[in-house]
Order: sequence, then C-alpha cells, then structure tokens
Amino acid sequence: MIMDDKTIEFLKQTFREFYYKNSSKITAPIRMNEREFGYMSFNKVMVRHLSFRTDGELRVFLIRESPHSVYYSCAYYYEPTLPMGEKGWKGADLIFDIDADSIPTRCKDEHDIWVCKDCKFMDKGKRPETCPKCASTRIEEESWFCPLCLNATKNEAIKLVDFLLEDFGIPKDKIKVYFSGSRGYHVTVEESSLEGLDQLARNEISDYISGTGFSIESLGISKGASYDDMYGFLPLANEPGWRGRIASFFTEFEFESYELIDKDVRDKILYIYGKIGYKSFEELIKKIVNDLGVKIDVMVTTDIHRIFRLPNTLHGNTGMLKKKCDDLTSFDPLIDAVVLSDEPVKLFVYRAPKFNLKGDFFGPYHSEEVTLPLMVAVYLLGKGLAKVINSY
Amino acid sequence: MEIEFGLEDLAKYPFLKEAGDYIKCLSLSIDDLKQEDYQRVLERAKHRVIEAIQKNFISTEIEEPNLEILSFPLALIIVKAIGIDYFMHRYSLAESLRAEKLLEKEKKIIISNIFKSAFNVNTIIIEHDFFDFKMSLIDYLLRATHFHKPEWKLVNRVVEKGFVYVKTHELIRLMREEIRKIIYERMKSLSLPKIPENIKEIIDEISKALPSLPSKELQKTTPEMFPPCVMHVLDLLQKGQNVPHYGRFLLTSYLLGIGKSIDEVINIYPKAPDFSERLTRYQVEHIAGIRGGRKRYKTPSCRTLITHGLCFKDETLCDKIKNPIQFGRKPVIFKKKKIDEHNSDDYG
Ligand code: SF4
Ligand SMILES: [Zn+2]
Ligand SMILES: [Zn+2]
Repeated sequence: MIMDDKTIEFLKQTFREFYYKNSSKITAPIRMNEREFGYMSFNKVMVRHLSFRTDGELRVFLIRESPHSVYYSCAYYYEPTLPMGEKGWKGADLIFDIDADSIPTRCKDEHDIWVCKDCKFMDKGKRPETCPKCASTRIEEESWFCPLCLNATKNEAIKLVDFLLEDFGIPKDKIKVYFSGSRGYHVTVEESSLEGLDQLARNEISDYISGTGFSIESLGISKGASYDDMYGFLPLANEPGWRGRIASFFTEFEFESYELIDKDVRDKILYIYGKIGYKSFEELIKKIVNDLGVKIDVMVTTDIHRIFRLPNTLHGNTGMLKKKCDDLTSFDPLIDAVVLSDEPVKLFVYRAPKFNLKGDFFGPYHSEEVTLPLMVAVYLLGKGLAKVINSY
Repeated sequence: MEIEFGLEDLAKYPFLKEAGDYIKCLSLSIDDLKQEDYQRVLERAKHRVIEAIQKNFISTEIEEPNLEILSFPLALIIVKAIGIDYFMHRYSLAESLRAEKLLEKEKKIIISNIFKSAFNVNTIIIEHDFFDFKMSLIDYLLRATHFHKPEWKLVNRVVEKGFVYVKTHELIRLMREEIRKIIYERMKSLSLPKIPENIKEIIDEISKALPSLPSKELQKTTPEMFPPCVMHVLDLLQKGQNVPHYGRFLLTSYLLGIGKSIDEVINIYPKAPDFSERLTRYQVEHIAGIRGGRKRYKTPSCRTLITHGLCFKDETLCDKIKNPIQFGRKPVIFKKKKIDEHNSDDYG
C-alpha cells in the first residue's frame, strides 16, 4: 500500500512531537558507541551503519528524522560505521524474537484477511495460493493481533525466560523483556558469557529453546530395549532441562484412567509407551516438545549482526512503543504500549475489522470518514488502512 | 592452582606445555641428537610418523617416558620438513587419537587437570548416575557444534543452570579435536631448525614411502570461488576427516550445480582406503538425477544448511544469499537500500 505524502507528513509530525515531549525517556543501550544504528524513514528508505556517542546525539537524531523505525545492532564492533565486512565483530547480545505471526491461534481466521492485488477480492482467514476470482498470485495478507494473539506471544515469552534462568543459568537482571511495539516480544540477554558465541552455537541455543531436533532417545526410550532396561533411564519430574520438563508434563498428563498414586512418573511413561507403541509415542513426544518449546524466530537468534528495534522508540506500523516489561504477567501491550495522545483526527478509513486498543473497541470500518483519537488513527495509518483528511 | 604432572603423564600427553618445559630443563638442542644415546629417540620419532601416516594411529605403549617426551617434538619437525599440509593434518589426527585412547583409561581428576592445563577448560567432577562431569554451556557449545550426531545437539543434553552434563568418554571426545588442533597449530608455526644429517636421512626415507595424496582434483580446485559452507566440506576432505553425510550432499549438489561433470565431482573425493569409488559414483549419479528417482537434486538452501550446522556464513561474501549456489554472483551493495513494504518488518 502506498502512503500519500500528506499521511507521511502527518505521521512524521506525530512521531517528532512524541520524541520531543519524551526526549528524556530516550536512553541508549549499553556500550552504545560499539553498536551500529540504523533507521527506516516513512518513505521506506533504509539507512544503516550509523553510530551515536551520547544519549543527546540520539535524541537530537530522533527528533530531526522522526523515522518509521529505529534499530540498533545486537553486535558490538570496533568500527560500527564501516561496511559489514570491515566493522570488526567483537561479540553480540543474545536476542530472541517472538512474533504472533508464527504462533497459530484460532482467532486468526476471524481477524486476518487477504486481498487480491489485481481484482481487489478479499476474504477472511489464511491466504490462498491463488485468487479464487481471477487466479492471480499477487495476494496481500493483512494480519491483526487481537488480545488472544498477543497473549499467546506473552506465554511464549514467559516460557523463554524460564529456559534462560533455569537451563542456561543467566542471572535475572541480565534478561530484558520488551514488547516489540507491534505483535510480539523481544528478549535480550546483555553482558553474559554467551556474548562471543558464533552462529553455529546460537543455532544450538535456539534449537534447544524451541525443542528442535529433540530425540526420543534422550528420554531413555529406545526401540529394541526391554522395559526393565529402559526404566532406569527414564526422566523424573525433578530433573533439570528437557527431561525434567517432559517428565513434569507426564505427571499432569491425563491418560485413560491412569492414576499416579504410589508410583513415580516413570511407571506412567512406560505404561503409556506400552499402550500406544513406539511410533505413536514418538509422535506424542514431538507434540509435547513442540508445546513446551518456545516459538522463537530462529533467524533472529542465529544472526550475529542483527539489528533490532531500539527500546523506547515507536513502531511505524502501529504507533506503539517498544516497551520494557518489568512485570510480564501483568503487562498488557494494547494498553501499556499505547503511548500517543487521544487528540481527535479525521481520517478516511479504507477498511478495518473491529479491533481493541487502550481498552476501547473500534470499527469495523468500510471506506468511510471517521474521527478517531490520535493513537487509534496512527494505528490504522501505519498499517496503510487509512489516510489523513485534515491534519489538526 | 599449579597442576603437577608426573613423567608418566608427560609421556602420555607430550603436547602439554609441561612436557615442553621438561625438555627445556634438560636443555638439549637438536644437535645433541647425533649422540648414540638418542638413536632410540630418533627411532621412536620415525616410528610415530610412519604409523601416523600409514595407519592413522600411533601406538600407546610407553617403554620409557623420556623416549616419548623427546620423540614427540622431533616427530613434529620431521612431518613439518616433509612439507605437505595433508600429512601435517594426518599426523595431528593420529596423535590426538593416541591421546584419546590413553585418556579413556585415566582417573577423572587427571582428565580434568589435563583439560585445565592444556585448554584452560574448567570441568567439574560430579556424582551422578549417568554423567561424570559438568562443563559450562559456553565451553560445551564451542566444541560440540563441530559434531553432527543428534546426541551432541544441546537439545538432547542435560542442561542445568548454565552447565552441560557429559560422560567421561564424551568429554574426551570433545577435547580430542582440540588436541588435534593444538598439535597442528604447533607444527604449522614451527620454524625449522637446521636439520642434522641423520634426521635428514629419516625424512628422505619417509618421503619415499609416502602413500599417495588425495586426488589431484581436490588439491587444484580454486577454493576462493566457493562459499564458506562448501569450503568447510572440502577442508574436511582435505584433512582426511570424517565428512557428515549431508556435507557430501552439499558438496556434490553444489559442484554439479555450478556445472562440474559427474567425473569431475567423483574425482574430488579422495581415494582413501575406506573409500569405495563405486559407492561414490552411485551417490553422485543419484544426486545428478541419472539414477534412482531421476530427480536432479538442487543445492540445499542456506537455511537448511544452518539447521545441519554446515553454514559458516561470511558476512560480506554471503550477504543476501539464500542458497550457496548464488555465492559470488551478485556484487555486494552497502549503504542505502530501498526496500519495499513487505520486507520492512524483517528487521523486527
Ligand atoms: S550463508 Fe549460505 S552460502 Fe554462505 S556459508 Fe552459509 S550456507 Fe553457505
Ligand atoms: Zn483476484
Ligand atoms: Zn487473534
């Protein structure tokens, strides 16, 4: 969707004002001058290889450029402004991205739509390969993130923090959790011994956390072995790591009318294994591991040069803030990360389903003029679903 | 804490810096080796090299500690003087296999001390039903990522509070690679002294009896042109090391993909004793689509290679590449890029 100049100007002005009024809250990440910065303007031009030395420089820059998005590298460099091959990599924070996009929620069928770019036909749910009307493959998806979707990402973030604390032994104060400003969470581990890990090692970390490549043998199950032989190798619920997680799961797991009284979970595991057989048991474990593992974006964690949205900056697609969550359980992104004012703005909305922001419901809208609070207006404008009629 | 090793230990593990210190204490120079007394040291050094090159192993018997301790550096000089990188690799591998075998018989505390002294790796001895040591997550990852079997994957390990649990033989296996590396590095950085006649004779004798090198094709490929993942596989082949199955698939499909002929590809693989040309031909032809499914296999994507632990991404050269086959095709562009709306979210 192409944004018109007036809308772009309006968004820039809104962001500028926000940064101006909140400039004291804009703070740099640690070891700022070893990091690369970059930004994307509302014209979708990407600029990278920048560097800032002080909070002040960063603030001035944000107010001057008021970009769509601001990024900083998770990596530390000798020369952050040089081209990638010459920067001199020193190390990088360990980072994780949890995005509602990659978590299947049932509500997606309700609020996600797709539009054929050629004949403009649209429908709810998952996009088809080709447009049923004109057979075009040029199909655009429009995903929305309702409280349910966002809650699902929050649960993933909570699981992730547990892995970092319990399995990797990372001290609590080194783990920072942020709402991404749009549709998920970013988790950053700074100043840890893992800073120097290369891509391969990070891949192992992300496979561990997501449960990718888990083999049933590590539970002590092997195809030919007798039950007696296996018993001693099966996991107990108080064990650390994946084995313990899976054993805890089985402790709670309801299977037929099996009762765990006076027995330990290993008996139950063997009982289930005996009942359903190797193949189905393997399938079951796969499912359990998939549920217990965290749905992180592997590409983000393994990329040692990644640039990540800068905390306390606005997301150009939503007008919401990338915000640190000090108490994750009580954090509500649709309230806590909505930071723009409620000044009325007149818009022409192309389309929007019913949605929730800052505790109120809005929409649905179909090609109509509406007056909405600024935070809601920017939410629609950023997604390209509306244009400004009158700037205030 | 200073770790004390006995003479026996140094004889078993002559790559320890303590062994070097010991030799220094004896203050010998290479010229001293002309003396009759050291004829046996020379013999042992020669034997080390020949065994390594021919059998890929070095015997673990220790007749006399001094013989072992002194013959080791001499053997390094001999191999270095032969002047062929392939044999330096082979020799270091054989030495590391010898150390592995000896370590398997050691007490836990000795193993732990050796790893501390040689590689500065802390291992903690634990009382556990299945495991013998724990080591820090980072020490584990730095080493285990080179192994491709599922049991080495972190997700299949017991991990607790930043430590990974390992069995004795697993710990030794992790360190074997390290031992190989330090021996190779030591040889590589060795500047050859003026070599006395009696050692020269040994070098000549060994040189004449050398087995044939891996294929000429492999040696003359121009590696700068290949992406790092393919280079890695070639490197393993060149060092005579075990190449994971998927690595062979990558190499074969890549070479076919850039237009090499089936014969050219087959010739890349070394004519090692354990190597069956028929099997390689079969595999290569299968991938080329001449056999079996008649489906020509494409080079796996970078994403897939990451999963298999085979990607060794070079930030500049691999920039914007999705498949190794694209390597070197596009100029690298930095600075301002116009990106369309679809990609704008990729950054987070
Ligand atoms: S990025 Fe792709 S081409 Fe480069 S090393 Fe990794 S897999 Fe190979
Ligand atoms: Zn259509
Ligand atoms: Zn939803």
